[in-house]
Amino acid sequence: MVYFILSRIARAVITVALVVTFAFVVLRLSGDPALMIMGPEAPPEVLAAFRSAWGLDLPIWQQYFSYFGAIAQGELGRSMRDGRPAIELVLERIPSTLALTLPALAMKVGIGLPAGIYAALHRGGPIDRLVMTLAVAGFTVPSFVLGLVLVLVFSVMLGWLPSGGQDSWRHAILPVLTLGIGGAAILARFTRSAMLEVLGQPYMRTALAKGVPWHVAIRSHALPNAAIPTVTIIGFMVGTLIAGAVVVESVFSWPGVGRLLVVAVANRDLAVVQCILLLVAATMVASNLLVDFLYGYLDPRLRTGARAGAH
Amino acid sequence: MPLVSRRSALGLGLAAAGSLALPRFAIAQADNRPSITIAVQKVSNSNTLDVLREQSNVGERVFFSSIWEGLIGRDWLGGLKKVPLLATEWKRIDAQTVELKLRQGVKFHNGEEMTAEDVVFSFSRERMFAATEAKNRSTIKAFERIPTPRPGKELPPEVPAAARRAWPDLARVEAVDKYTVRFYNATPDLTLEGRLSRYGSDIMSRKGWEDAASYLDWARKPVTTGPYKIVDFKPDTYLVLEAHDEYWGGRPPLKRIRFVEVPEVPSRINGLLSGEYQFACDIPPDQIVGIEKNAAFEVQGGTILNHRLTVFDKNHAVLANPLVRRAFTHAIDRQAIVDSLWAGRTKVPKGLQWDYYDDMFVSDWDVPKYDPALAMDLLKQAGYKGDAIPYRLLNNYYTNQVPTAQILVEMWKAVGLNVEIQTKESWTQIMERNDSRGVRDWSNSAPFNDPVSSIVAQHGPNGQQQQIGEWTNVEANQMAEIMETSIDPAQRKKAFRRMLEICEREDPAYTVLHQNATFTAKQKSIKWKTAPAFAMDFRPGNFAL
Repeated sequence: MVYFILSRIARAVITVALVVTFAFVVLRLSGDPALMIMGPEAPPEVLAAFRSAWGLDLPIWQQYFSYFGAIAQGELGRSMRDGRPAIELVLERIPSTLALTLPALAMKVGIGLPAGIYAALHRGGPIDRLVMTLAVAGFTVPSFVLGLVLVLVFSVMLGWLPSGGQDSWRHAILPVLTLGIGGAAILARFTRSAMLEVLGQPYMRTALAKGVPWHVAIRSHALPNAAIPTVTIIGFMVGTLIAGAVVVESVFSWPGVGRLLVVAVANRDLAVVQCILLLVAATMVASNLLVDFLYGYLDPRLRTGARAGAH
Repeated sequence: MPLVSRRSALGLGLAAAGSLALPRFAIAQADNRPSITIAVQKVSNSNTLDVLREQSNVGERVFFSSIWEGLIGRDWLGGLKKVPLLATEWKRIDAQTVELKLRQGVKFHNGEEMTAEDVVFSFSRERMFAATEAKNRSTIKAFERIPTPRPGKELPPEVPAAARRAWPDLARVEAVDKYTVRFYNATPDLTLEGRLSRYGSDIMSRKGWEDAASYLDWARKPVTTGPYKIVDFKPDTYLVLEAHDEYWGGRPPLKRIRFVEVPEVPSRINGLLSGEYQFACDIPPDQIVGIEKNAAFEVQGGTILNHRLTVFDKNHAVLANPLVRRAFTHAIDRQAIVDSLWAGRTKVPKGLQWDYYDDMFVSDWDVPKYDPALAMDLLKQAGYKGDAIPYRLLNNYYTNQVPTAQILVEMWKAVGLNVEIQTKESWTQIMERNDSRGVRDWSNSAPFNDPVSSIVAQHGPNGQQQQIGEWTNVEANQMAEIMETSIDPAQRKKAFRRMLEICEREDPAYTVLHQNATFTAKQKSIKWKTAPAFAMDFRPGNFAL
């Protein structure tokens, strides 16, 4: 077990190091932060002063190693835009993003799971067709289109809800809906196919043949077995809680981590981008671990297998 | 859509009810002025509100004329001429000294009166120049003491660099008395008054600086003299301004102005149409017709102090021949671009100059005329064989940049020029110096009303084009020097004309395509006039319902 955890942690560290290196190379080779932040009309001496202040005039390999050295000491760098610690900038945006992504996750699970299960249990019926039509629509319409359509209807035409900003809870409704509808559609489709697969398994036929009531067979046999792929998808959704709303935050002018990421990339504000990437990687790793634990809980065979492996 | 929210209306109602019990107090508090919300693409690129740190179009919009004011201002609604602002009058002592009389009774946002001491401080090493020196410092011993900045009050290095760029030879500023200041330049300079009116030469409260805990704290809430004071600034999100009722120019017409960042164009337009925003800025020209279909809205705006250019690298094997570059300039039907992509709402200017240059404006100058036959003839004379010429292009950094590039390539193709677009990610890649650098896009501004602020600053020996090794010309550089140092207006104008001839005709460094423009959509019921600039003027007299 210790080996398992250590190997997971080592893998996570390597993944994060690769992500940070990739971001460094892409961002630094594709643009000069001095020109990005100061603009193309900035006088040469202003650009030179900026580059010198941020060490951008050093050889790129030197910048890379000093950046990594700083990270190793827990220093994530400062924003080149205003000199504030990057971690501070990112942390202060997280509550805003979670204010959208957590309710959206609840909506995805709250709608997607029951809709998928219901559709599977009534396969081929009108409700199944309706649910799947809506799911395909929700799944295929890009979030920026869906967001703009919702604004057009509920803000411009009906005047019920604000079109953007973060002044009150009402401002969160449309972005949460935009995030939630797409995710619920994905989850409904996955849940339905997982359920259909399980419903066709021999153990279900056996259970029913033994006289187990339909609802009991579904609750005790079908749902736990169908939960494995569904939990994987939900785990992925949990992993995107921090930076999974980039487009929606832009469409709704919501000042969260996603907006910060867009601005930081546009300005090649390396420290901020990498800080966000580190957080995203950490969230992904944590959610994957959580999913692994849930697998063990949901599937007794995995628990037994783990014990057998331990012996 | 009401301009006052239900909450503020309720507040006003309660205030009115309270007036029965506390009439004097409540009457003093009553404020029926409207508040407005303006949707902008960006409030500040640098996350600060310091005029020397945030030198951008978006900065100009929120700074002028709401927050920052200089000694000499611009008539924003009247041709951008120089007008008295915090100084009521000024005179030349000699070719390198200007004396200004300060407006008396001007109050900063902190209630302090503006005096000569604040002006001197605004141009001090501590606030502006740090350890930089005037180019010709030896002529005058200036700024004897180089103060060590207090911890946290160190200027970002780009601030003194920008300040020195704006004031390359300023030796010192001296308080003659409480309301009189003198600016001493190390060299003779006829543009000192222009420099005083430029973006960045604005006045701040010394006490406001000293009271702030750090540079960043100050730069997010500078204490200035404008008609509106900063109440709340959340970088990348919003900026809230409130009326400065002690404003020297009268009571501001708005109670509050809220600039909100709405990065997407459709979101800005939707917010305007739904009544959440009273103004939506940065509207692309192709959206104007759609917005104005609704009779309740209109789009204002037009030309700004910025021209779009095509820039040449004369070191490129094909472009080394000036005849080829000249062919480029004559192959462009500029008016067609203005009509098709800008709905005719901007114009083709008279080269790299602006009307507000006054006496320095060369009125009989023009951009190279559209003459495909001449272009073809020039290519024939050059012996051009159809070799490919690279055109490095960014994806719509400028409004209409990609469609303009596509039109240009077709126009050039029509005269026989083989120009190949190379899409790039960043300015670094655009400017990278190698054999494949040929043609690129750029824009040039004129921060004050003299060609040294544009053609000399951008294409002269210290300008970006020469600094990155794209172009140089010995005679043009001599002309630039004359414009910078001569005190003979006629000689300066002659030098400017000659520099235009060289840079735009004989040995083209660039060619001007059109004047840039910015468009602001607004509720038609609001009586407000836009300036020919990014600046939005909400001073007394320019807002009514």
